[in-house]
Amino acid sequence: MNALQIAATGMDAQQMRVEVISNNLANMNTTAYNARRAEFADLMYRQVQAPGSVSAASGAVLPVGVQLGMGVRPAAVMMNVEQGASTQTGGQLDMSIEGKGYIEIALPSGISGFTRDGALKMTGDGLLITAEGFPVVPNITIPDGAREVTVSPEGEVYAMFEDQVDPELLGQITLATFTNEAGLEATGNNYYRETNASGAPQVGAAGEEGRGMLRQGYLEASSVDAVREITELIEAQRGYELNAKVITAADQMLGATTQIR
Amino acid sequence: MDTSGYVTLSRQTGLWKEMQVVANNVANLSTTGFRREGVVFTEMVQALPNEGGGVAMAAARARFSDPTQGSVNQTGNPMDLAIQGSGYFMVETDDGNRLTRAGAFALNTEGEMVNPDGLRLLDVGGAPIFIPPDAAVMSVAQDGTVSADGAPLAQIGIYEVQNEAALSNQMGTLFDPGEDEPLAMEGAVVLQGFIEGSNVNPVTEMARMIEVQRTYEMGMKFMENEDERIRNVTRTLGQRA
Repeated sequence: MNALQIAATGMDAQQMRVEVISNNLANMNTTAYNARRAEFADLMYRQVQAPGSVSAASGAVLPVGVQLGMGVRPAAVMMNVEQGASTQTGGQLDMSIEGKGYIEIALPSGISGFTRDGALKMTGDGLLITAEGFPVVPNITIPDGAREVTVSPEGEVYAMFEDQVDPELLGQITLATFTNEAGLEATGNNYYRETNASGAPQVGAAGEEGRGMLRQGYLEASSVDAVREITELIEAQRGYELNAKVITAADQMLGATTQIR
Repeated sequence: MDTSGYVTLSRQTGLWKEMQVVANNVANLSTTGFRREGVVFTEMVQALPNEGGGVAMAAARARFSDPTQGSVNQTGNPMDLAIQGSGYFMVETDDGNRLTRAGAFALNTEGEMVNPDGLRLLDVGGAPIFIPPDAAVMSVAQDGTVSADGAPLAQIGIYEVQNEAALSNQMGTLFDPGEDEPLAMEGAVVLQGFIEGSNVNPVTEMARMIEVQRTYEMGMKFMENEDERIRNVTRTLGQRA
């Protein structure tokens, strides 16, 4: 009877794979989205005949045993930490991070979020915020009358004023890196939260200690590769069908069993 | 006379086991580093009392694990590693070191390379591999040397065992080497940004499945006939008496 359950675990796994793929494809144009990949591992094995058990009085041992697998389980949905292509937007407050690092933002709950989506905006008071309205940490305010805002690759924000020759330094956008970026918790809305798996954020200036540089006027595109996703989709669909076929075959075998008296 | 039903029965139970193995192979069609399995039937010969020769019962007594390489797929993730040719990665578990072909690794909070279940990958010397958090670029050379920003850190250990067939499967695409001490392998080739898929061939599995199913039905037919025959014997003998 186990063949039915085993094939069902296989169908579940392929179904989950399709869900991950469809989420990737749906986020093809999401700024700084990282493609995810479902990762599977086999389930436990039932020891029918343990390898190495004695098979004869002469002391001969079985070189190989019989182990029956119980199917498959999802092991992880891995985030492919890969930089998407930078696309030029020309936006004064559009920032792409070249290399590692996240911009820290203050969430309404008081804790910090981390994002690579550098499409920043301004509030009426000139405070730098993300598209969702969360202020960038440390807070940077662009005063009234600032003519042109420039951001250096190190994250220093300068503004030019009508009555000044030299640009004025308003603040510095810092970047946070994590030991294990793939361990960040995705919360939606293009930001992540730190977890025990990701480790604590290491905040510092851009371009230092392995942190990436900021590029003003560019945005990071989604790293989803449509061709790869479609190939995976075909594989997942066929895998699903194959597992369904196994269920049909096992069912027919059971049917044959019930027919004999 | 009374053994023929049992001979078929031994075959039928064996076929169910084989069906389970096929189902498990198909279920693990997209499991990273999974190795296809099969069942080998052996006969158990029982001597007949009067006539010469004997009755052979079939029993699924051995299994094999197919060591051929699975398809290698490009992922572009620097933490994804595939072994070209033979050899295994070694990971550390509470019950001792285990071998695996699944090369999807990530970093844990300490900056050590771990598999999706959090088990640490070991280097040639049997120590975990630490990647400093400030490393901007991490690369793995073909011989398994891990370097961060150009500075070599460690060499990923690729191990081999004497008898691959004796490896015992464990949950999580792990293999237990048992008594067979794994030795570091010379000349192993590691590919970065690639991952080895499962080596299950859907066509072969489907062919085996159909074969198992039809053989099973044949056995059932045989048992039906056998049932019929014994019934006839009882009836005929009853009439004569």
